[in-house]
Amino acid sequence: MYRGRIEKDFNAWISKGMLDPVTAKALLAEYDTRETVFSAGRVLLVLAALLLSAAILLLVAANWEAIPRLFRVAGIVGLIWAFYLAAAACLGRGFKAMGAALLVLATMTFGGAIALIGQMYHLSGDATDALLVWFAAACVAAVAFRSAALAVLCGFLAWAIFGELVIDNDTSFEGNGYIYLVPMLIVIVIALVRYTNAGIARHLAYLLALAWLGWFYIELPEVWVASLLFGAGLVAFLMASIPLSPLYRFAGEAGAAPAFYSFALAVMGLAALHTEVDGLGQEIAIGATTLAVALGGIAIAGRLNGAVRFLGYAVFATETLYLSFVTLGSILGTSGFFLIAGIVVALVAWLVIRLEKRFSSKAAIEGSVA
Amino acid sequence: MSNNPLIRPLFAAILVAVLQTAFLGYMIESRASILRNGVDVVLKTVPVDPRDLLRGDYVILSYDISTIPADKVTGGFPAEPTDAQLSVRLEKQPDGFWGVAEASFSTLAPKEGSVIARSAPFYFYPTPDSPQASLNADYGIERYYVPEGEGKVLEEARNASALSVTARVDDDGRMQIRLIAVDGKPLYEEPLY
Repeated sequence: MYRGRIEKDFNAWISKGMLDPVTAKALLAEYDTRETVFSAGRVLLVLAALLLSAAILLLVAANWEAIPRLFRVAGIVGLIWAFYLAAAACLGRGFKAMGAALLVLATMTFGGAIALIGQMYHLSGDATDALLVWFAAACVAAVAFRSAALAVLCGFLAWAIFGELVIDNDTSFEGNGYIYLVPMLIVIVIALVRYTNAGIARHLAYLLALAWLGWFYIELPEVWVASLLFGAGLVAFLMASIPLSPLYRFAGEAGAAPAFYSFALAVMGLAALHTEVDGLGQEIAIGATTLAVALGGIAIAGRLNGAVRFLGYAVFATETLYLSFVTLGSILGTSGFFLIAGIVVALVAWLVIRLEKRFSSKAAIEGSVA
Repeated sequence: MSNNPLIRPLFAAILVAVLQTAFLGYMIESRASILRNGVDVVLKTVPVDPRDLLRGDYVILSYDISTIPADKVTGGFPAEPTDAQLSVRLEKQPDGFWGVAEASFSTLAPKEGSVIARSAPFYFYPTPDSPQASLNADYGIERYYVPEGEGKVLEEARNASALSVTARVDDDGRMQIRLIAVDGKPLYEEPLY
């Protein structure tokens, strides 16, 4: 974890006389007072809440006939009330972790209640509708309590809705239109992440956006869709990474994620374009574009954004190997291909080492200026 | 505003719990209102996939009225692929069971001695070159949860084709199961709540 690494670095700097032990202690103390959403204890508590809610869901599935129906309804509604009120009591007294766990437990129980009532009363409802209601309830609760843990749960529920639509409902463009709700879910989750300060949950939203756009291309595998994905990704990436852009500061608040995921979208578009090209000329054109995008991405955002940098390296290496396989592979045969591959990887490695050195020396100069 | 740190979370808890309770209540009540105000129709049924019976979770019920012959459809078929809902007129047949008299993609007018049921929404894809001989309609009464181990009775009844369901249909054409019977003898009777 970051706490451990920074302490190790501090000790090294203290032993070299670069940092005064008192300052180091003060810095660590400051770090420890910060409110972190994802400390190990909290994660374990939330996991415990998830296990308990799984137990409730299984109880539901067992269709316990021994208790009359209305008692069962009263019981599960009572559980929902008890969990929310207990969460409120914990949050009001400052037991934040326990409060978050109870909120997750309460909201999971609501999902179980929908299933239980559907089962007891033989309602042949649609699973997507049930998930949408559950998602809405989780969002309302996340806003009302300003709870980061519930924002994370909303992120997972948005994924569950997408999965249900794509896998179980085999959704299509002309279907009931639910699939077009997914972008809205993504916007809601990102808004919740910003409002509740739920950091890591934003990845769930961005990944869902990528998955949804990927689904779009799989449903409609046309050149223009692939080009659109590439173009949109590229524009979004530039908007997020060029300091002149009006969105630069806004994107910066969200850390490395906006630049990385828009870059990933551009790469996804390029990958789709690779399956569309026809003939050597186009192949080389798209290959050259891919290499340029990889290097451009590293040049523009690579210094500040490690994730973009490594995706750039990976794309560059894969594309070079792919190109050498397409152009030279058939001439040289398999062993020749491995020879070329070895040389290419060595060249990429050399390039990466040069770039990494440049970035760190640049950072050092800027650090000394500032 | 009070400075008590308990006020805001407590308010949030009550708000959220009230909303969730209201939704669960709505789920139960929307079914109960159909059972309370609906008209009885007796339907011939077979459980499909007998493995479900023994697994003790739920039975998928298939009804005679689930299959609608294309020649019973009045008012024509949509020409374009579209989200559709069928309006189905049920009439009592000589054998006592209710059957499909006519069906339409638009709304049917009420008529003495018949009951109008609405199918669940489905996606209709026209195939003009090879028209379908029949349409499949769901009515929201296809699922029945049985307690573990009790599926055997239903399965034997299925083999003897003696299973019937009495459903209630409300004015909007929504249906709920009121009674499951074997050889006319009630097996499961559904209370309102």
